[in-house]
Amino acid sequence: MADTQKLVFMVLHGPDHPEHATIPFVMGCAALASDIEVVLGFQADGVELVRVGVADGIQAPGFPPFAKLLRDFRELGGSLLVCAPCMNSRGITAADLIEGTEIVAAGRFVAEITSATNSLVY
Amino acid sequence: MPATITESELEAITADKVVDARGAACPGPLLEAKKGMGTVPVGAIIEIWSSDPVTKSDIGAWSAKVGHAFLGVLVADGYERVLVRRQK
Repeated sequence: MADTQKLVFMVLHGPDHPEHATIPFVMGCAALASDIEVVLGFQADGVELVRVGVADGIQAPGFPPFAKLLRDFRELGGSLLVCAPCMNSRGITAADLIEGTEIVAAGRFVAEITSATNSLVY
Repeated sequence: MPATITESELEAITADKVVDARGAACPGPLLEAKKGMGTVPVGAIIEIWSSDPVTKSDIGAWSAKVGHAFLGVLVADGYERVLVRRQK
């Protein structure tokens, strides 16, 4: 990265809220394109977004397809952290997640947020 | 390049690369600009075509953030031509 700035976006909405699910990826891609490190943290229903096969069915009006944004985000080097307890409560296992995700717990989220330039919750 | 570059001066520029992002919604044009910038040498000029009127301000902010030179905008038929010089 060209500088040390980092943004953390906490994603709490799932496929039932396409716009809330999509906007953090829009913001994340724009930040990555601006040489800023980006972490997307998935909690609550947000963990559904990184299940295999879910992305293709999400389309918020006026935005690029969610699946394309997810692909762009990964290609640009963004990090995808997924809340372990949120997965457990929904019966989601590691095998259900897309490639490139990392399963974490609260301590890791706290470390990412406290080391970030700024954090936003969607 | 000074911020006061005139439209005729912009018209006289031949871009080293044209990025056609017409029809793409935010952040598509920005991501295409980022990709395009990575394919040209420092000092080269890229021209982003976009039908989204917000693109020019987005590319302007992005250029300032990452250190490229935003040269200006030309209005075309149904889209805008945003010119940026790679600075680093």
